[in-house]
Amino acid sequence: MPIVPILMPQLGESIAEATVIRLDIKVGDEVKTDQEIIEVETNKATMGITTLCNGVVSEIRAVEGVSYSVGSLLGLLEVTEEEIARTGVDTLETLEAKNHSQPQETKSGEENLHFALDGDSYEEDPSIVPTVKGLPVPTGVMGAHYISPRMRARMNDMGLREADISAIAGTGAGGRVTVEDLERFLDYLESWPSAPASPMRLAVADAMRRSWTRPLATVGLPVLLDRLLQHRREQVKKPGLTLYLLRAFAIALKEQPMTAGYLIGEKVVHPRSFDIGVAVQVEDGVVVPAMRKVDQKTLSELVAEYDDLVDRARRRRLTEADSRGGIATVTNFGTFGLTTGTPIPLPNETLILGIGAGRKKPVWSEQVEAFLPATEAELLLTFDHRVVDGGGAGMLLNRVAVLLQQPENL
Amino acid sequence: MSVTYIDAIREAQEDLLREDDRVFLYGQDIASFGGAFKATKGLAEAYPNRVFDSPISEDAMIGLAVGAAIEGMRPIIEMQFADFSSIAFNQIVNQAATHYYRTGMPIPITVRLPSGGTPGSGPFHSQSMEGLYAQYPGLVVVTPATVSDAYHMLIDAVKMDDPVIYCEHKFLYRWLKAKSIKGEHLPIGQARIARPGKHATVVTYSAMVHEAVRAADRLQQDGWEIEVVDLRSVKPLDIDTVLASVARTGRLLAVGEAFPWGGVTAEVVSRVTEEGFHLLDAPPQRLNSRDTPVPYHPKLWAAHRPTPESISEALRKLLSF
Amino acid sequence: MISLDGEFLRSAFRSMLKARILENKLSSLYKAGKIVGGVYLGKGQEAVSGCLGTALIQGKDCFAPLIRDQAGRTAFGEPLIDCTRTYLGSVEGPMKVRDGNIHRGRPHKGMPAMISHLGAQVPLIAGMLFAKRLKGTLDGCVGATCVGDGATSTGAFHEGLNMAAVEKLPMVVVIANNQFAYSTPNNRQFACGDLVERARGYGVGGYSVDGTDLMACASVIGEAVKQARLGKGPQMVVAHLLRLSGHGEHDDGAYVPDSARAGYYGRDCIEIAIEQLVQGGYASQAEIEAWREEFSEEVQRAVAQAQQEALPDPYLENWSALSTTFPYIPS
Repeated sequence: MPIVPILMPQLGESIAEATVIRLDIKVGDEVKTDQEIIEVETNKATMGITTLCNGVVSEIRAVEGVSYSVGSLLGLLEVTEEEIARTGVDTLETLEAKNHSQPQETKSGEENLHFALDGDSYEEDPSIVPTVKGLPVPTGVMGAHYISPRMRARMNDMGLREADISAIAGTGAGGRVTVEDLERFLDYLESWPSAPASPMRLAVADAMRRSWTRPLATVGLPVLLDRLLQHRREQVKKPGLTLYLLRAFAIALKEQPMTAGYLIGEKVVHPRSFDIGVAVQVEDGVVVPAMRKVDQKTLSELVAEYDDLVDRARRRRLTEADSRGGIATVTNFGTFGLTTGTPIPLPNETLILGIGAGRKKPVWSEQVEAFLPATEAELLLTFDHRVVDGGGAGMLLNRVAVLLQQPENL
Repeated sequence: MSVTYIDAIREAQEDLLREDDRVFLYGQDIASFGGAFKATKGLAEAYPNRVFDSPISEDAMIGLAVGAAIEGMRPIIEMQFADFSSIAFNQIVNQAATHYYRTGMPIPITVRLPSGGTPGSGPFHSQSMEGLYAQYPGLVVVTPATVSDAYHMLIDAVKMDDPVIYCEHKFLYRWLKAKSIKGEHLPIGQARIARPGKHATVVTYSAMVHEAVRAADRLQQDGWEIEVVDLRSVKPLDIDTVLASVARTGRLLAVGEAFPWGGVTAEVVSRVTEEGFHLLDAPPQRLNSRDTPVPYHPKLWAAHRPTPESISEALRKLLSF
Repeated sequence: MISLDGEFLRSAFRSMLKARILENKLSSLYKAGKIVGGVYLGKGQEAVSGCLGTALIQGKDCFAPLIRDQAGRTAFGEPLIDCTRTYLGSVEGPMKVRDGNIHRGRPHKGMPAMISHLGAQVPLIAGMLFAKRLKGTLDGCVGATCVGDGATSTGAFHEGLNMAAVEKLPMVVVIANNQFAYSTPNNRQFACGDLVERARGYGVGGYSVDGTDLMACASVIGEAVKQARLGKGPQMVVAHLLRLSGHGEHDDGAYVPDSARAGYYGRDCIEIAIEQLVQGGYASQAEIEAWREEFSEEVQRAVAQAQQEALPDPYLENWSALSTTFPYIPS
């Protein structure tokens, strides 16, 4: 036989619960449609809960003197099918179905739509106190650094970065660059010859811009190359200068691995393998394929690998994997005849080691007490000052310089 | 031969009375006297059983109009001053405005509100109520700024099936003239570019359109080109036209004669900030009357409402950002 | 037109009885938790309301009922299902449950839907009559509304009645003085002796009647409607009675003193009416029992049907308060 629930009704607006003061029924009683069966009291009034159909009380859950929230189950009636049809009342089953059909219609975050119907009450959380401290308040939102929502949107459209608009003298408040300033500047540039930047150029630009967000510092010292060059002449497969540098750098880094750590948040990521990248100039850009496990291979072992990588780099045949996994980079800008410079490490690396062109210089010899000709080059190390300090960088660079004086050990 | 703003209102009512038997006029002193502002002059003589003097009962005037609308009529109710519609507020916002949503039957009444300040009118004959009514769902609120709009928007308001609050500006009644009122006109719900420009957008309505255009003329001398958008109807608000204008200029000043707390200008700024944040090159600005009752003395009054001077100043500030 | 006409009395009584049975059911539904929001009953006001509704002509007159006018609504042709659907949340209801309980109507049938603001329907009915005059269909028409003693203190009541008097409209305003506006007794509501004294000031016809007496109500309200119908301008009827329920079913009316409940107006107009009908030979006891049986079943059917109909779906609701689409181009 169908079971009809007796529920605590909503007895007045803003009423969340009511106290049962008298049960006028007991289990087994027959009840009639519209009979008042339970007397309840709210803080506004006293009234009877009714039954909406004829039936027999099969269970009573309510206890006299106890308060129940709106919607609570107070008892159950057994009711015939015919009576259900006659009165249209909900049985436990149909009510369940209705309650279950509710969430399908309810989009997340809108459950409160049924707040009043469910009779849920809400208690204030005393632990919540008003916020009295907040963010420091800026004194002005104008000035050269300020980018308006429209400027930001326009810059995004054009792929412009803050660096790009630094060329514009703003006419807005405090020297702010207004959208009109930007549009005027762009119009002005229209009269200059221009062409779309190549994908390679854009990739390099992006990497350099990202790297430049860090505090980079460069240290350097001169290094004599004569012994190295002598060693090179003696080899059958002649390693390039860059390869000597790679090998010396890898050995030094293995001895001082902390310096190649990469800072991310509050964590330093340490090298897993001493793979060192090598900067290769290609058309309209630079690529940096990585040499694998440079600490574990001898110079002669590395020559073939190096030649292959450089060759493939120049022919644009590098794969994604070739450029991944380096912990630091070596660049030989001496090949362009340059003697000094400040190389910039890749955005995901802390160090880059560079070398300038070798020059003949008189060097004082204690042995012969005279100036002798020697080949000298500038060795430069750029580092992320967040990870490495001048002292650490100096030790690393000195160690590389020493290793380059013992090419036979490389 | 020229037509004034109030001529247009009178003529629209005459044309409506002539063309539609369902139209009747109900208001204080509007029959043989012709209305406090003569907006119904001669209409009672021409249509003796269609134009009626009402007791001084603003609540009952709107109640009567709603009842008549239920019976299929198209009443036009003249409030002697917009300020007095506060007495009818209940019937307007609770009876007329809710009726369509509650029952499915729209209420085609038009309530004429002689609005806005004129010199010497003081606190109770100067108010601008459009923001208050626009706040309520179920009302259309129109604010004609031109002679042509005064005519055509009144015609359209009466033809429309929903309740319309027609805010006519008393300052424009005789000050504003046009060659003719017939011809092309925009529909209700569409804003108008009153003056094209490219450096900043002023969004306004009613009499302030003219003040804003004057301010724009002044700035023109310094090379600034100011675009002025006339909302025409504040509800519905044609935000598309506003956003299109801000897209051209990047700068927004919303001007209204109503009190400064909330209201139409706040709504315009809020909608533009929400939907067109990326279009803004400067913080959107508002200029309203001062936050006091409208003062009586013309010297105080002139400093209470936005003027070409204060609008120019607000624009210069906006342009200098 | 009709005062102690037997058919009128039987009709009026049937609407009273049907209203009482329906309202008892509404109370029961409320106390079983089936109705969300308020339930406002007209217990004790049935004779007044039923006579007014019966005296009006459906399809011709107009009637703006207030919260205790179930009998008048029924007499004026509102089907029971309108009531149960509105109370029980069926989307099939006349207000599509955008409004609830007694805030329902059939404006296209001359029965506007009340708003909660008291007195507001007085000028509204005046407007409906005013429109009929303009359309040339006013002849022989009456417009009526009911208010309580509390509404007589509002500006809208005054403005509306005065305006109807100025316009000489055939309007009947019935004031059901049930002695309490929610909990506020008459002596905190008005300072005149009988509210009917105001009729003279408005320049309208005035009547005072025992609202618990079917015969008296039929006679007096019938007369007021007749006078209005004859073109004698607005008529104001003050009916004296006691509310036999709380303001709403959430309220047990504890503020009503026992002396009032035990007093003359504490009597039940339905019981008085049965006595009068039987004694006057207008209806037999058996006939009345048969009606009771018939109406109980009718009410039960209306409740069962409304309970089984669809509830509103917020995601299918047309959330528009205007019928117009914009930009608006007149057709």
